[in-house]
Amino acid sequence: MNPTFGQRLLRWTVLALGYAFLYLPIVLLIVYSFNASRLATVWAGFSTKWYGELLRDRQILEAAWVSLRIAFWTATAATVIGTLGAMVMTRFHRFPGKTMFGALITAPLVMPEVIIGLSILLMLVSVGAAMGIPSKGMVAIWIAHVTLTVSFVTVVVSSRLQELDKSLEEAAMDLGANRLKVFFLITLPIIAPALVSGWLLAFTLSLDDVVIASFVAGPDSTTLPIKVFSSVRLGVSPKINALATLMIMAVSIAAIVGWWLMYREDRRRQLDMQLALQENG
Amino acid sequence: MAAINERANGFPAEAGSERYLRIEGVRKEFDGFVAVDDVSLDIRKGEIFALLGGSGSGKSTLLRCLAGFERPTKGKIVLDGEVMNDLPPYERPINMMFQSYALFPHMTVEQNIAFGLKQDGLAKDAIRRRVGEMLEMVQLEKLAKRKPHQLSGGQQQRVALARSLAKGPKLLLLDEPMGALDKKLRSRMQLELVNIIETSGVTCVMVTHDQEEAMTMATRIALIDQGWIQQVGTPDEIYEQPGNRFAAGFIGSVNLVEATIDEDEPDYVTLRTPAFDAPIHIGHGITGFEGQQVSFALRPEKLGIGKAEPEQPHNKAHGTIEDIAYFGSHSVYHVRLPSGIKLMANFTNQQRWASEGMTWGDQVWLWWGDNDGVVLTS
Amino acid sequence: MNARALKRFFPGGRWAVIAVPFLWLLLFFAIPFLIVLKISFSRLAIAMPPYTPIVEYVDKALTLRLNLGNYVALFTDSQYVVAYLSSIRIAAVSTLLCLLIGYPMAYFIARMKPSTRNIALMAVVLPSWISFLLRVYAWVGILDANGILNRALMGLGVIDAPLRILYTPLAAYIGIVYCYLPFMVLPLYANLVKLDLRLLEAAYDLGAKPWQAFLRITLPLSRAGIVAGCMLVMIPAVGEFVIPEMLGGPDTLMIGRVLWGEFFNNRDWPAASAVAIVMLLLLMVPILVFNRYQQKEMEGRLT
Repeated sequence: MNPTFGQRLLRWTVLALGYAFLYLPIVLLIVYSFNASRLATVWAGFSTKWYGELLRDRQILEAAWVSLRIAFWTATAATVIGTLGAMVMTRFHRFPGKTMFGALITAPLVMPEVIIGLSILLMLVSVGAAMGIPSKGMVAIWIAHVTLTVSFVTVVVSSRLQELDKSLEEAAMDLGANRLKVFFLITLPIIAPALVSGWLLAFTLSLDDVVIASFVAGPDSTTLPIKVFSSVRLGVSPKINALATLMIMAVSIAAIVGWWLMYREDRRRQLDMQLALQENG
Repeated sequence: MAAINERANGFPAEAGSERYLRIEGVRKEFDGFVAVDDVSLDIRKGEIFALLGGSGSGKSTLLRCLAGFERPTKGKIVLDGEVMNDLPPYERPINMMFQSYALFPHMTVEQNIAFGLKQDGLAKDAIRRRVGEMLEMVQLEKLAKRKPHQLSGGQQQRVALARSLAKGPKLLLLDEPMGALDKKLRSRMQLELVNIIETSGVTCVMVTHDQEEAMTMATRIALIDQGWIQQVGTPDEIYEQPGNRFAAGFIGSVNLVEATIDEDEPDYVTLRTPAFDAPIHIGHGITGFEGQQVSFALRPEKLGIGKAEPEQPHNKAHGTIEDIAYFGSHSVYHVRLPSGIKLMANFTNQQRWASEGMTWGDQVWLWWGDNDGVVLTS
Repeated sequence: MNARALKRFFPGGRWAVIAVPFLWLLLFFAIPFLIVLKISFSRLAIAMPPYTPIVEYVDKALTLRLNLGNYVALFTDSQYVVAYLSSIRIAAVSTLLCLLIGYPMAYFIARMKPSTRNIALMAVVLPSWISFLLRVYAWVGILDANGILNRALMGLGVIDAPLRILYTPLAAYIGIVYCYLPFMVLPLYANLVKLDLRLLEAAYDLGAKPWQAFLRITLPLSRAGIVAGCMLVMIPAVGEFVIPEMLGGPDTLMIGRVLWGEFFNNRDWPAASAVAIVMLLLLMVPILVFNRYQQKEMEGRLT
């Protein structure tokens, strides 16, 4: 049934308002990063001086480097562990303890960050010494971030695994590959895009976290969000706007590149299939 | 179970070839639901054996037990003398062609076919040679470098077949081989597939719900319903000598009437039925007794139809044409008898416009020979 | 089962796959809760770590000292009670607002052509890839007395004096809705996109008007998505810290801020632990509801 004009109007109004709501603050962030005045609310002319100041701020740059390293290792570990979790959830039939396993996997998705941060810190303080892990520091942040993000990776990867035709894996076994080989030769290559998505998601979550990091960060492991947070508590600062703009640009470029790659892949597939149909073998 | 016909279909009987694949008392339960109910079958080396049944009949489960994806709750599967039960799928000399073909999307046609060979650790040259042979066999040499999504349905099927034969398995399994093809392609591929399989000489078990497919492709068929085997035999045996009502009704069309045995003699039998006025005369003896309730099965193509009353005193019925279904090559006349029963009779349109002027509402006679029908006791 | 079969089936391999994620989460997610529970029964002390031990073994006497003071304070001190209730209220209202905004968006996106659908969805998710912190910060600039919103409204003549939005609960609402909207849209979309349009066509064919079809077919069928979206927003929102801290004022009491305050300002780990435990208990039921839904989603067609 084709939508009436009224329905179409409604649809586009809702979406326009929704997207405006989502994107306006971001646009404003970018605009005011070029504001010559320190007051981010009064426009005083175009200037890029804040970018200069940002790049000269050693503390922020160091914090950024710390955050990037932690985010990288978090994403990598979370992807490995999360993918294993996804395999268990989607490919392993009932086994004793699966419900508890499922609960452990899904709870972190909604757990308030203050609780995660506090609990991991207290855990590391209590028994960390015995395990050889200092209760504050980059390793602690890494552990906490991995714990936070594993579930998200599991969700992303399970979704893809479910769509995967099980007969592909069965065919591989039928042809002589044991379960391990099936995973590496067949499953993994096919779900690879989901793994990349999961990695990026974990990376972003880690890079962005301020609450958990605050609990377990040490004096030499200040992360970027911690720095930003303490900075903005004192008030608006255009340097932060500049930082925000750089991050927005980075994310946008990554998103556009990613989308374009997928689009190209899709188009090629479509053409291939049309070609095959025409030949009608 | 039904006796296995001794006609070997032209195969020289090697020692052990009669029972190359033995399915012995296999039973598969899922949470109390019995999918496969004590099935025993002996399959000969080199034959194409079809498991024919509707959905939910248990045929796919049985196939998966053979492949190794399900473990039988009870029973044994023995191939060429070796027990298969405890072997995982990747260690069985059995290969399967999946209904969806399951071609690996990230590999080319060549790589798909080579996959099984690589798992066996064959040398690169040997693999290349074998893959070349397989491509030749299915006539897809030119498409070796393509990926599955660049192929049509028919081409994909051939790749799947080549892949499953590449390792020269002792047993080839086909899961609804024609399921994904459209009707025209189906008929052509059925014969092609049979050719390739027979040329390679591999023993084959296929699973299908399409009776035409089974009848065309298989050397022997097992009818399976609700988890157990109803009848095993060659296509013409099952068609002409169905063992029970299920078998009679499943394959092709059939007229079934209930009757009582009137006279039970060694060389003939007479049946009385409320469906027809005249008695039914069978030209041979059967195992039964007088007064026994049986079913009488008559295939529509065995009935003669015409306006004039036939001379024979039995095996005839009289009624009104209620429906005519025209199929081009033949017509099926649905005739309503006074008893209320409707009989179907085929009439081949051998000559153009030759249906003797029979049309809706006409009174016609139907007749058949002494040995044209089958008496069913179950 | 012979030895060869045992080795081939790799029961060890299977358990290793289960063990890795299981042990990690057990060790770093589940067990820490037990430790928080333990410390919540402790007492603030000038020591490292800053709490008294619960179990003491002195002179061959084992004493278990459970300090209930933290919990007593939670239930008697009105500030805590108000903070808990306020958190639930703010989270609930925000969730409702997210639902009212997010459902129509998800609905219309799900009805788009597949090619535009993906872009539209990406456009909803994209903002959340940009730092959460920075997006909240953006609203500080917008809602300020001298901020964009006020200046625009005054410029248009709608108001005479600037509205005080920043540092009030209203700002916190706006912030939560803004940041959590994608979390509401995604599960709703995932659910609505699977809706078989032919069901609606059948309804129209039988004489139902569009809004009737929506109320009686679409809405009930999207219930699972609604539940998931609401849980995904409400549960973490209850414990939110950054948003009420940056956008809310002193009267925006949320339990996340209380916990933070106890830990960082008062350095009272036991009190913070008690706050955390009570928060967990409050959220237990919604978490279980979400967990059941999510497990089913992940298992898909697996029985």
